[in-house]
Amino acid sequence: MPDATERRRNTAPWWGLLFALGAIGCNVAFFVSPPLQGALPWLSVLFGVLALAFLATGLRRAFGRAHVYRGKVLSVVLTVIALFPLGLTAFAFVKARELPSSTAAPQVGQRIPDFTLSDTSGKPVSLDQLLAAAPSASTSQSQASAPKAVLLIFYRGYW
Amino acid sequence: MEKRLAEFQVAGVRPVAISVDAPEVSRDLAHKAGYTFPILSDPDTAVTRRYHLLHTGGGPDGHDIARPAEFLVDSSKIVRWSNFTEDVRVRARADEMLAAAKQLR
Repeated sequence: MPDATERRRNTAPWWGLLFALGAIGCNVAFFVSPPLQGALPWLSVLFGVLALAFLATGLRRAFGRAHVYRGKVLSVVLTVIALFPLGLTAFAFVKARELPSSTAAPQVGQRIPDFTLSDTSGKPVSLDQLLAAAPSASTSQSQASAPKAVLLIFYRGYW
Repeated sequence: MEKRLAEFQVAGVRPVAISVDAPEVSRDLAHKAGYTFPILSDPDTAVTRRYHLLHTGGGPDGHDIARPAEFLVDSSKIVRWSNFTEDVRVRARADEMLAAAKQLR
């Protein structure tokens, strides 16, 4: 049996787990709405790739260079544990980007047609009304003069 | 959005949110989040489809919803700015929308 204290500690799987947790942690960061929110999906990919690299290195060292590195069991355990946040990160990334193409949607410079939809009290409100001087039908403060523009925010829904 | 509402009003822009949710659901959202700007309902997805924003089966129980999109529309109903996120986790930022609003002179 080789003397265990002479073999080096295998820290790579720990780094792998850390980056795997960092990758899934990026998804939590979205809720905090940081200024660089647009970069977060790619940061999660970077962390995921780094995690996989470290985990692979840890396994390679523990099994391929067992005379130099310790941690056969630990590297396997940590890799299996890390696969859960990594899997979740990959799943979240794919799901969040499954969006239909918007090439047919109104483009800058295009005129959009009028519409009439119900507000939260069920009262019909048209785009013309929103662009006019009268205050909006909802609970907002009255805006005496006509707005320069309306900002239409289409959102997925409340659930 | 609600926090920066005053800035939008100063810039002469009226924010309006639209989803396929029924008015009661939107009312609940407005109440819980404290939103005071109008929230409109498009339950039969007519307007969502007219603007080519339909996300078939995108809702939590497989119902059709709108994909996220923002449009700055002037008084002639011309689109002056738009934003289509590629990732539902990345929201349009008030700063970007305000900057676009301020460019409308």
